[in-house]
Amino acid sequence: MALTENDVRGIADYARIALTDDELTEMTAYMNDAVAMLEPVLAYNLPDITPTFHPIGDLSNVMREDAQAPARDLSREAALSNAGAARDGSFRVPSILGEDE
Amino acid sequence: MATSFDALTAAQLAAGVASGTWSAVEVAHAALDAIQAREAEVQAFVQVNPELALAAAERVDAARAAGEALPPLAGVPVAIKDNMNLTGTRTTCASRMLENYESPYTATCVQRMLDAGCVPVGKANMDEFAFGSSTDSSAFHPTNNPWDTARVPGGSSGGSAAAVAAGMVPLSLGSDTGGSIRQPAALCGVVGMKPTYGAVSRYGVVAFGSSLDQAGPFGRTVEDVALAMDALVAGGRDAYDSTSQEVAPSFAQAARAAAEGLAGRRIGLVPAFMDAEGLTPEVRAGVMRAAAALEAAGAELVEVDLPHVDAAIAAYYVIGPAEAFSNLARFDGIRYGYQEPGCTTLAQQSARSRAHGFGAEAKRRQMLGAYLLSSGVYDTYYYAAQKARTLITADYATAFAQVDAILMPATPHAAFRHGEISDPTQMYLSDMYTISLNIAGNGGISVPVGLGEDSGLPMAAQLVAPAFADERLITFATVIERGCAAASGEAVLGVAPAFAGKGGELA
Repeated sequence: MALTENDVRGIADYARIALTDDELTEMTAYMNDAVAMLEPVLAYNLPDITPTFHPIGDLSNVMREDAQAPARDLSREAALSNAGAARDGSFRVPSILGEDE
Repeated sequence: MATSFDALTAAQLAAGVASGTWSAVEVAHAALDAIQAREAEVQAFVQVNPELALAAAERVDAARAAGEALPPLAGVPVAIKDNMNLTGTRTTCASRMLENYESPYTATCVQRMLDAGCVPVGKANMDEFAFGSSTDSSAFHPTNNPWDTARVPGGSSGGSAAAVAAGMVPLSLGSDTGGSIRQPAALCGVVGMKPTYGAVSRYGVVAFGSSLDQAGPFGRTVEDVALAMDALVAGGRDAYDSTSQEVAPSFAQAARAAAEGLAGRRIGLVPAFMDAEGLTPEVRAGVMRAAAALEAAGAELVEVDLPHVDAAIAAYYVIGPAEAFSNLARFDGIRYGYQEPGCTTLAQQSARSRAHGFGAEAKRRQMLGAYLLSSGVYDTYYYAAQKARTLITADYATAFAQVDAILMPATPHAAFRHGEISDPTQMYLSDMYTISLNIAGNGGISVPVGLGEDSGLPMAAQLVAPAFADERLITFATVIERGCAAASGEAVLGVAPAFAGKGGELA
């Protein structure tokens, strides 16, 4: 079943990418082409095959010590240096809930 | 008598610096001159950093003057793909999103090259966030193929490949998520290696597909690529990348082992690959020249099958976009990256920063990934793709029980013209021969085999080895290089003729 522009608008909201109406039309055509290209993979939804999520198969989650690592930790100044807006040693963001909240 | 900088390999430059024939500063100036003379036509770089290069070269010269033992690549200029952090440079991923992003630290793979004595001359152009096979999706400018500037260098590491092919640097680093080292190497007539996943640390390389990404080197000779591989793995496992593995620095040794011949070695050919629709006769003929070179050195050619590899492109375009969407979610316009001004809410700021910071293909991949990971769709596609991955990996294991390596094309055709492939899903087919290795994780190398009889453009063959047997790629590629070269032991193709000797000299 083909994706509609309305479906793609919903995906764009979820992906946090504001698309113009023209972009939405183009993106819908692309999404349908791309999903059609993925069709061959559906034949592999086989019950007796174990999925491989990672090329190094026996790797499990690796946790490091919860400790400072001076060789690699960024200073506060360095961490803020690429931010679009910062104030008082923190990242500055607009209102999370909107102006009226 | 002056020597043209671009006629020298990394091995020769390092030997000249070590013996005092040239200083590292003289070599750095020659590289910067070579870049300046060629860059207007090639556009391989998004930044050139003369101060950084000369400072690194001065450190090499000071070490030599102090009588210190020089590292193996001391004074060798290197270009770095612009998705790799290097302190003192911006790391833009050729995206407006990161146009002003200053590297806060240095990637391990870059640091290893610096530790080996390399001199970083600049950051190489690429497809935006490595999404592409042409480098045309760079937000800043395209890169031109040095063999024909109307054509693309391939991608996504197109700047890294073109810089080496044009004689601007002898070595460069790239990254390969679906073919992004091997495909541009093939189209530009240089050697490009994607090591086994885990062989080279990914720390400090901007992530695209975390289970697929692998960094590796470009050079004009297999020996130079071997020297770069030794530099990349010599520091051992990187504690900053939990998938990093210990790999022995035995690549230069593997290049020398080619002299012993290949008696008793078996090389696989995949009939379905050699007869595939879309493979041009001249690429096929080039791969058969490589096969003849291997056979002449004593190897036996054996037919093998990889029956599930047909699913690789579809599996990749599930796994890759899904991982890309997860990774690129971090670009929210807050901590770094483009920030849309004048937004009243955080959600609006994120959506508009991402809409205006990312280019078209970066948006397409993330949209596809977002869809594939959405509820109801995830079970259908994502699990199927990861099961296809199991079967593709098993295919390679079965084949490698019969052969030491597999020989195949790197790309179906020679370099295409800018704009010639405009449909995104058609572009994805450029990686038909490279993509299954990123799925399975094992390593591959693209090695030049001369020019195509129809196009007159560079042709290449790809060798594939089992996981963590990458040194075999170097041995076999050296045999192909020597077998295909007019003068033995030298580059098959060398610098693209239009740029050879066009600036950058060593007295």
